[in-house]
Order: sequence, then structure tokens, then C-alpha cells
Amino acid sequence: MIRSFVTTSGLACLYLLASAHVGSPDTWFEGQAGPYHVTVQIETAGVVPGVAKVFVRADGEQPDRVTVQANKFDATGGAPPPEPAMPVEGDPGLFQGRLWMMSGGSNSVTVNVSGKKGSGKVVVPVVVVAYTRLKLDKPMGAGLAAMGIFLFAGLVTIVGAAVREGSLAPGETPGTSTRNRARNAMVLTSVIAAVLLIGGWKWWNREDRAYEATMYRPFASSATIVTEGDHRVIRVAIDDSVWKHRWDTTWLQRNRGNSWSPLLEDHGKLMHLFLVREDLGAFAHLHPATTDTVAFPATLPPLPAGKYRVFADIVHESGFTHTLVNSIQIPASAGGGAAVGDPDDSWFAGPVASNGRAVLDSGVTMEWQSGSPLVAGRPANLNFLVRNADGAPATLTPYMGMAAHAVVQRDDGSVFVHLHPNGTFSMASQMALEMRQPGDTIRGTLGKRLTIAEMAAMKTAGPTTGVVMFPYAFPKPGKYRIWVQVRRGEKIHTAAFDADVKQAAPSG
Amino acid sequence: MAATIPVLPDTSRADRIDRAGVFAAEWPIYAVLLASASIVVGLIWDISWHRTIGRDTFWSPPHVIEQIGAIVAGLSCGYVALKTTFAGSAEERARSVHFWKYFQAPLGAWVCIWGTIMMVTSAPFDNWWHNAYGLDVKIISPPHLVLASGMIAIQLGAMFMALGAQNRAVSEADRKRLAILFCIAAAVIIEMVTVMITEDASFANTMHGSRFYRVTGLMIPVFLVAFARASRLTWAATRIAIVYMLITMSAIWILQLFPASAKLAPIYNPVTHLIPPAFPLLLFAPAVAIDLLLKKKSINDWVLAILIGVAFVAVMLAVHWFWADFMMSPAARNFFFGADQWDYSSRPGPWRYQYWNLDTDQLGNWSAIEFAKKMSIALGLAVFSSRLGLAWGKSMSQIKR
Repeated sequence: MIRSFVTTSGLACLYLLASAHVGSPDTWFEGQAGPYHVTVQIETAGVVPGVAKVFVRADGEQPDRVTVQANKFDATGGAPPPEPAMPVEGDPGLFQGRLWMMSGGSNSVTVNVSGKKGSGKVVVPVVVVAYTRLKLDKPMGAGLAAMGIFLFAGLVTIVGAAVREGSLAPGETPGTSTRNRARNAMVLTSVIAAVLLIGGWKWWNREDRAYEATMYRPFASSATIVTEGDHRVIRVAIDDSVWKHRWDTTWLQRNRGNSWSPLLEDHGKLMHLFLVREDLGAFAHLHPATTDTVAFPATLPPLPAGKYRVFADIVHESGFTHTLVNSIQIPASAGGGAAVGDPDDSWFAGPVASNGRAVLDSGVTMEWQSGSPLVAGRPANLNFLVRNADGAPATLTPYMGMAAHAVVQRDDGSVFVHLHPNGTFSMASQMALEMRQPGDTIRGTLGKRLTIAEMAAMKTAGPTTGVVMFPYAFPKPGKYRIWVQVRRGEKIHTAAFDADVKQAAPSG
Repeated sequence: MAATIPVLPDTSRADRIDRAGVFAAEWPIYAVLLASASIVVGLIWDISWHRTIGRDTFWSPPHVIEQIGAIVAGLSCGYVALKTTFAGSAEERARSVHFWKYFQAPLGAWVCIWGTIMMVTSAPFDNWWHNAYGLDVKIISPPHLVLASGMIAIQLGAMFMALGAQNRAVSEADRKRLAILFCIAAAVIIEMVTVMITEDASFANTMHGSRFYRVTGLMIPVFLVAFARASRLTWAATRIAIVYMLITMSAIWILQLFPASAKLAPIYNPVTHLIPPAFPLLLFAPAVAIDLLLKKKSINDWVLAILIGVAFVAVMLAVHWFWADFMMSPAARNFFFGADQWDYSSRPGPWRYQYWNLDTDQLGNWSAIEFAKKMSIALGLAVFSSRLGLAWGKSMSQIKR
């Protein structure tokens, strides 16, 4: 069982935004590594540099050797030799490796699997950013303070002893003046040590503030609703100065801004925009068009009024992914013309599945084939079976190149993730990391090739029958809603399911 | 102890008893010296490990060597303190100092114990720091400073142990033996100091910039002068400097023998063996000047500090200016000198054969005036450092416990 969350939860840390997705920092991959079907979970440290844990589960016959290897997207240097992932005792088929992720940004983990069936590899994109704020817990703080006081007193005592007795011949006793000198030396040492301690404390605070400044934050963005003619438009704008000045190297140098690479289409779209009403009662998955990759307007579908959380997924040519976060009040619609947006836009405000079974249009049903109870940090059985009205498994046509899409959100909005049957990562990121060549130094060169390749891949994606599965583990206990989206013919179906995720029992 | 042994008819037996007595009295000194050496060896190895392999664990071999140093120092001095306090002979108690009025042990033992506790404290602190802010984002961090303070304390403690014994010794043979131990302990500290200033003052590339002379002028004389003054050996500074150089050169020759490669990405400079430290500073040269000047007993310490400070900077400059040219030449790129060997994460480039930290004018050209201005600061720092060293050395020469 992939159970690494237990160890992570031991750290008294607070998850903030973790690049693409919100509050759900682990990367999941499911797919083929040559002849082996593997599930990969990558748990980054939340600090940079940090040690990432990589769990690899191979189904069926156990491979003889599993290795993992990390590298940065734009590394001009070589990669280190692959690290062996070791079998996890008591859990056949599960391997664990540890990788030092030295550089922040878009990284990759290459998993090699070999055995009697042959060998194969997969490249899993991993966005490495600092996202944890580790608190100094009370026992640790008390322990350090106690040691500090003891060492302080010890230092002062030793200095006093040195001045008082250090220079005396064996057996000689110190005189009054020597004792006075010792006392003065102890006072002076106390003052110096106190100054050093205060200086150290200030230094620590400065380091802490410097770290906080380097923590990941998505681009500053905004969401507004405007009326254009007879319909309403939601406009998401990337307002961040660093993005607006992304071509201005002088400005970037002056302001120490990162040089972000252009955006890439992921599943054929530059942005995947999700609107979720705060009470989870309404949901939309939209695809704004853009002319400048700063403003992203999308036709607003007829959603019920209310306050919505807005999540916008974008992917850079480097493979780095962001989820921009906003909120917006959608007023009641005044009626008007029919919304005409992107043909792949979809929305849903229907009832939540009852007893794990949702009834979709035309008698089509979707069942959550959940097995074991949902526990935080443990693989969740996100397996869904879609049936036609006659009960036979439905034939699903690819929806933007994928058999299905799912969105998971915790009821308080602290977790948001966009899933596919192959995992939590962006397909475009994976392709960027796999296809990058030394000549891709000019911005946009790789992007053009990727867009062509992705479109070709989407065209070749074939239909699937009935079952869709998403590899994932809920990051923390609580109440979640999952929206699962599939396509039958030209019709996009969305079903909503509730999940009550329990706290993992203490291990050991 | 030798002086207290009665004359016995069987001289060989007397020798054995004599040696046993010496061992009983001096084993803690050897133990803490071993600890001190372990720590500095572990540190040199650890730096090489990070420059070559990159990735490590709490239990990497260099860390284990350092931990052994801390354990040996802590346990041996802890034993000495307990024994002296609860079961010490009158003589042992007489040569100890009091800690919190009740506990007794030699001064050096208390310093070593304090250093060990400091090192132990740094371990969970450093672990927490890594989890909170990343793996060694900066070398100079609060937990690393706690660790370094502990290491230095153990090395100072070891030196005080040898020093007290040297200053108490009655016979010339004892004094000489203990003075040699003190010399080794002092050389280990000089090694530690040079490790701390590696970035600014170890690579030949830095030796044409005033920064090299300012840093060495501030950091070296205080220790070298103090140790030379406290030592009972002739040519003490020179001997200490030579031992320091031999330690570093041994590290260069041994580390290169071990095949190793980088285990972290990105690798810009594929390395094939453990990267050695830079060739040691040629401290024997200014050390000779220090020894010669320290022989002038009639000179006031303030004047002496000026003479030593000026001589230190002048000799360092005269020697290292030309030494740097040699070390930057192809002639030094071999096993013996170990030049031109860089970290796996260094991007190869012309910087390898260029001088760094040069004193330049506003146009970026080397300026003799700028160099002279900043070298005057180096002189001031060296004089200040020498004065501190003279005072410290004087007080150390009186330590008897």
C-alpha cells in the first residue's frame, strides 16, 4: 500500500498552494512502463532542495529492478545515475526510492522498470516548489530552549572556572582578586553570549522571512464578469507584473523576476477554467480563448447565482503548471441569448449521486465502484463504471483526448485537483519533458512541436468501454466532492459524488 | 608522574611502570586529540563528499567520523569529570577546576564536554532546519554554526588538555612530549580555521586580490601567534604551520585515490574521484617570521603586534603572489598539487584560470591604488589579530589545569 502520507503528516506543516492543484502536492501517474503497468506516487519535500519520496507499484508479475532518476527540465548538465528503488517489506510489488530534488521549477522523474517481461520507462513531470511552513513544535522548541539555557550556563561557568582556577598551580586556591576577575569575566561572557543569542535569533527570523519570500505563489490574477451583447463573459486575467513583463529582460533583471516560458496547450486548451459554487452545488469546466495570454475570456454558461471559487490551470512550455485561484460572485442571470462558448465547455448543477450511483441523461448511469473506506494518504479507489440505459458498459469517446476528467474539491476549498486516468500531472508537461531537445533554447520552439504532437495524440486516442479510473490519494481527511466527466458521442456527461475521507489510524 | 616513581633496581620494570603511569595520566589527552583530529578529518572528507557526490545522509562516512569524534571527546571527558569528582586522587583534584562548585575536571575536559553537547544539540536542530528551509541551502546557517561551535570547542578543549599538561610538566622529556601534543592540537585548529575561510582564501585564484590577505590577516595570526607563544617548543609557529600543511596535503593525496561520481543533478563537471581541498596555504613562511619576532622578548606587546602583523601580511603577499601563478599553471595540475579540480556542479569555463576578487577601479580594471588601499586594511587587521594572539597566548601559557 502506498502509505507515505503517514510520515508526511508527522510534520507539523501547513500545506499551502502547491503549484498546479491546491493543497494536493503529491504527483500521481498510472500507465505503462514498457510491459509493466505501474502506478507512481511522488511526494516532494515542500522545500527546495529537498528529498522526494518516489513510490512505484507494478501490477502483475513483480519486476526485478526499479530505478528512479531526477533531472531538471532545462538542465544543460548531465543527470546522475539512476537510483535503485527498493522493495517495500510486506507489500509485494511496491518499491520506494528517494531523490534529492536540488532545483525548483519543472523537474522530471524517470522511472525504469525491468524484469522477466522486459523493460520500460516512464517520465513523470514533477513541479518542485517550496510550499510548506514548518512550525517549531512545542517539544522541539522546549528542547532547544532547555539545551540553549544549559549551554549558556555551561559556557559562563567554564569561563569563570578558567579565569578563577585555570592558571593556578595544582592545589593552589584562588585569591579574592582572582575571584573578582572570574566574576567579571562571567558577566562579560554572559553579555557577549546574550548578544550572540539575540543576534542568532534575529538571523533566524531573517532567514525565515527570506524563505517565506521564496515560497510558491501562483501568478496574481483576477476574475470578473462582464456582459457582452446578450451574454455574459467571465474574464480571468493574469495580472502579475512578472508575466506582463515576461519579454522585457531589463525589467526582469531589475526586479529579479523569473523569466517564464510561454504557455502551452494542454488537451488542446491554453487554460482549463473551473468554477465551483462555494456550497459545491454547481460546477463548470470552461476553456477561455485568448489573444495575448494575459486576458482569458470565456462565455459564462447559465450557472445558478452564488459565490464561486475560480480555479484556472495553465501550463508553461517548461512543463511548469499553475493553478490560479480567485473567487467571484455570479449574479442571477437576466436571461438573454444562449451561451456559445468552446465546444468542450461543460457545466453541471444537478443532484449528487445517491449511494454511489448517478443517473445521467438518457438513462445513462455512472457508478462509483468504491471498495475500502476512504482514508487520507491512502490510494483512493476512484473507479467509475458508466452504463448505457440497457445496463451494458457505455462506449466512451475521448473528451479532450482523455477517457475522462475528474475534479476533486474539499468542501472548504482547501483542496482542488484536476485528475485524469493517467494521474494528476499535465499531459503537456509530460510531453515537454519527454520531447525537449538541446535546440529548444528559443522560446516557443518546443511549444510549437508539442502542440502539433499533442493534437496528433488527441486524434489517435481511441474510445474506451465503461470503466474509468483515477490514481489519487486524498491529502487530508474531510468532506470532498468529485465531479467526473465523460463523453458519449458528442454529449459530455458530468456526475457528482460525495466522499467522506477519514483520518489514517496512527501507524505502528 | 615520572618524577614520583621511586628508583627501583629493575630498570626495565621501572620503565614499564613509568609508561603505565604516564598513560594513566595522559590517555584523556590522546583521546581528545583523536577526537579533535577525527572532527577535522571528517569535515575535510565531508566537504569533498559534497563537492563530488553531493548527496549524503546523517550516517554518511564523513559524518560518522565526526560523530565518533564527538562521542570519544564526550565520553572520555565525561569519564574524567566523573572520576575526578567522585573517585579522583588528591593530585587529580588538585589539577582540576570546579564546575558548579561540586564537579571537578581539567579545564580542557569541561570545554570538550560543552563542545560535545553543542554538537549533539545541533543534530535535531539541523534536521528541523532542513525540513523547514531545505537541504543546506546555505552553508552558514544557525544550526551549522552551533555544530561548528561544538567542533571548535572540542578542538580547543583538546588543546587546553595538552596545554595544561605541558605547563605542569616537570621533566624536560615530559614537557617536550606534551609540547608536541599541544603543537598537533594547535595545528588541527589552524586546519579548522583555514577550512572556515576556504571560500575566500584557499584557491590560488584568490591570491591576487586583497581580500585573500584581509581574510588571512584577520583569521590566522590570532591563532598562530597565540599558539606559538603558549608552546614550549622552539620554532613553534613554524612547526604548527608545517603540521597543518601536512594534514592538508595528506587529505589531497588520500582523497584523490577514491573513485566517486556525482549523484545529484545537474552535473556540469563529471568527476571521477573525491575532489581534494586546495593546496594548503604556505603558512610556514609567515610562521618563521612570527617565530623570529617572538624571540625578541624585550619588545613591548603592542610594538610586537605591529611588527608581526606587518611581517605576516608582507610575507604572505611575497610568497602567495608568485605561488598563485604556479598553482594556476599546468605544472600544478597533477596528483601532488591537486590543482584545477572543481565541484560536479561547477560549469567549466575560463574562470578556472582567472584571478578572482581582484581590486578594480570603477571601470573594472585592476587598480594598484585600490589594491594598496585595501592591503592597508589587511595590515590593520593583521596587527589587531596579532595583538589578540599575543594576549591570548600569554594567558594560555599560564594555564596549568
